[in-house]
Amino acid sequence: MKRYIARRVGYCLLSLFLLSVTIFFFVRVTGDPATLLVEPGASEADIAAIHHQFGLDRPLWVQYGIFMASLAHGDLGQSFYYRTPVMELYLSRLPNSLYLAVVAMALSLLIGIPSGILASVRVGRFWDNAGKLFTLLGLSLPSFWVGLVLILVFSVYLGWLPSSGSGTPLHLIMPAFALGWYFAAAHMRLTRSSMLEVLGSEYVKLARLKGLPQSLVIAKHAFKNALIPVLTLAGINLVIMVNLSIVVEVVFAWPGIGRLLYEGITFRDFPVVQGVVLMGGAMIVIINLLVDILYAVIDPRIRLES
Amino acid sequence: MRRHHRGSSIRRPEQPALGSNESYPTRRDVFALAALGLMAGAPGVAKAAGPAGQLTWGIHVSLAPTWFDPAETPGFITPFMVLYALHDAMVKPMPGQPLAPSLAQSWSASEDGLSYDFALRQGATFHNGDPVTAEDVKYSFDRYRGASHDLMKNRVAEVEIPDPQHVRFRLKEPWPDFLTFYATASGAGWIVPKKYAEKLGDDGFKKAPVGAGPYKFVSFTPGVELVLEAFDQYWRKTPSVKRLVFKSIPEETTRLAALQRGEVDIVYSIRGELAEELRRTPGLTLKPVLSPAPFWVYFADQWDPKSPWHDERVRRAASLAIDRKGIDDAITLGYSKITGSIIPYTFEYFWQPPMPTYDPAEAKRLLAEAGHPNGFDAGEFYCDSSYSNVAEAVLDNLQAARFRVRLRPIERAAFIEAYSHKKLKNLILGGSGAFGNAATRLETYVVIGGAYVYGSYPDIDALYQQQAVELNRKKRGEILDKMQLILAERTIYAPIWQLGFINGAGPRVGESGFGLIQDFAYTGPFEDITLKGS
Repeated sequence: MKRYIARRVGYCLLSLFLLSVTIFFFVRVTGDPATLLVEPGASEADIAAIHHQFGLDRPLWVQYGIFMASLAHGDLGQSFYYRTPVMELYLSRLPNSLYLAVVAMALSLLIGIPSGILASVRVGRFWDNAGKLFTLLGLSLPSFWVGLVLILVFSVYLGWLPSSGSGTPLHLIMPAFALGWYFAAAHMRLTRSSMLEVLGSEYVKLARLKGLPQSLVIAKHAFKNALIPVLTLAGINLVIMVNLSIVVEVVFAWPGIGRLLYEGITFRDFPVVQGVVLMGGAMIVIINLLVDILYAVIDPRIRLES
Repeated sequence: MRRHHRGSSIRRPEQPALGSNESYPTRRDVFALAALGLMAGAPGVAKAAGPAGQLTWGIHVSLAPTWFDPAETPGFITPFMVLYALHDAMVKPMPGQPLAPSLAQSWSASEDGLSYDFALRQGATFHNGDPVTAEDVKYSFDRYRGASHDLMKNRVAEVEIPDPQHVRFRLKEPWPDFLTFYATASGAGWIVPKKYAEKLGDDGFKKAPVGAGPYKFVSFTPGVELVLEAFDQYWRKTPSVKRLVFKSIPEETTRLAALQRGEVDIVYSIRGELAEELRRTPGLTLKPVLSPAPFWVYFADQWDPKSPWHDERVRRAASLAIDRKGIDDAITLGYSKITGSIIPYTFEYFWQPPMPTYDPAEAKRLLAEAGHPNGFDAGEFYCDSSYSNVAEAVLDNLQAARFRVRLRPIERAAFIEAYSHKKLKNLILGGSGAFGNAATRLETYVVIGGAYVYGSYPDIDALYQQQAVELNRKKRGEILDKMQLILAERTIYAPIWQLGFINGAGPRVGESGFGLIQDFAYTGPFEDITLKGS
């Protein structure tokens, strides 16, 4: 078991190292941040001064070495644009993103799971077709469009909800719905297919043959087993929601990590982009590690095969 | 002999200039100017009851802490939306005065153009209670490292302090544009408290800035909001509104919705159909401001003899094919100003060229005359993707006149980089909102060696060198006029418009501050902004 965990931790560290290399060099392919920090027509000297100030005049491998050395001390560098430590920026935005993601996830599960169950037990009938339409719309309507329509209806025409910003629970409703909308459709689709698979299994057939009521078969025997892949997906989606809800956060001026990443990309703020991507990557890697370990604990075959 | 200025404008004809052959002000002029200066400077003259209430802005950009520090001001206008509230300058553009005395009560230039003396205003203080002193002025200049740093440091030999209330700038050689740069085109003339800034260091100062402006810093949440509070002791007048909140709302539709719901009182940058919606909404007011940002089409291949763009008639045909008014009506509701120049009409030494006309028939005739009766493959048309709506409209016009051209929108940073590194070709949609005067604009966009110059004409280059050393204002103006005439005659550029920057104000706003300061796209001066009924 120890060997298994050590090997998994090693893979995680390797993944993070590769991610750091990729993002460090990839972000530099986008161009020179000095262009956006000086006025059009600035002299070469002005641009050189910016390069020097941010250490961009050093060889790439030296820059990368400094980046990694700082990272080892928990320092993600200083934002070019905000002149503030990236870690400080990240931590100031993280609670907002977590808050939004948790509520959006709860919404998506509350909508996606019951509608998925309903569609699976009414295959080919009205609720199933309605569910398919919902899935189609959920997966195809872009979240920025959903967000703008929500703002127009609930803020401008009805005047019920604030259009943007944060601070009260009311501020959260529209961004959470716009963000959860897509995931609700995904969860609905997975729940439906997972339920259909379970409902066709031998033990469910046996339960029915034994004369158990339909509600008990679905709730106790089918749903519990069908839920496993849905919850696994929800876990990964939660991390994605926390780190990559860029469009929703920009549309609703929600002060989260997605908007921070958007600002970093817009201003070619290398430390911000590197920091946000690495932290997001670390979250995914750690969650995967925990899941792997959990699997190994539950199922000895996994650790033995490994 | 020195020439004294109190609240005078460099563009006003009665203003004494540096040249030796111009008349001096009469005694009546001196009294009049002195009165103006005293009125502008008398502390508490317009003092109102205490500041009250709050106004909230929905701004289109993310505020950067560097904008809280005048030392890092880039040469574009955006940071001044904050500087006008937090800080004060020796001399700055104010309502009705392109160069208004502020922390400097008056100033004078020596006859030889080698020194400028500034007399400080009595009683002006920083937000922490420290008086504004000559030491602070010198320190702020020395500390300045913004966009014009090299230019200013290379030309200013020394900053002297003859006494605590006076500052003298000694130049290495006469520089007619000194005041343009010191007072408008840089942050070098915006004053910070020396002791406080030294104590906190650069990063500390940005986190807790102290200035001498009408509003004090309260808090800043990066990317979210900035909160300011009225400074009761501001020398010009006590601000009317107690608290200002600037919220960053990057999405245009959301900004408008926030204004419609009354969540914010003032919004910046609303365009096209959304501006039309703003105009239709009861209680909201459209606040268009003419920005000092002309747009143009640049013929990057005109110096290549093999290119069709080498032919002046072809360039003229392209200019005639652009329906500027139609584009203006569609995109900026007619609030932009059609122009034939790449220089804002408010700039010093601006020369008014003939207004461009829309004549597609004449454009086709000229094309045929140049040997292209069926048009030609005109190549690529590059633009900053954030202005692709303008480029698309121009493209339609050009294609209608048989210029077969393809649009190539490029992300903003990459566009600026490619444009300045001369990597683009064929046609470029350019524009500039940089400060300066006609000479500085020509230097950057027309004269050999300029940052965005793909080729130049020797006669224009020679004229530029002449004006750069000409101290006589009138003669210098004549040379610059001639350069602009050649620019128009050869159709080196096809100017389009001076951008109308459209904003909005809600029903709670009394005086919004839009359009009070010439060439300033944002609200200001903040001490003049009021809530309705206050």
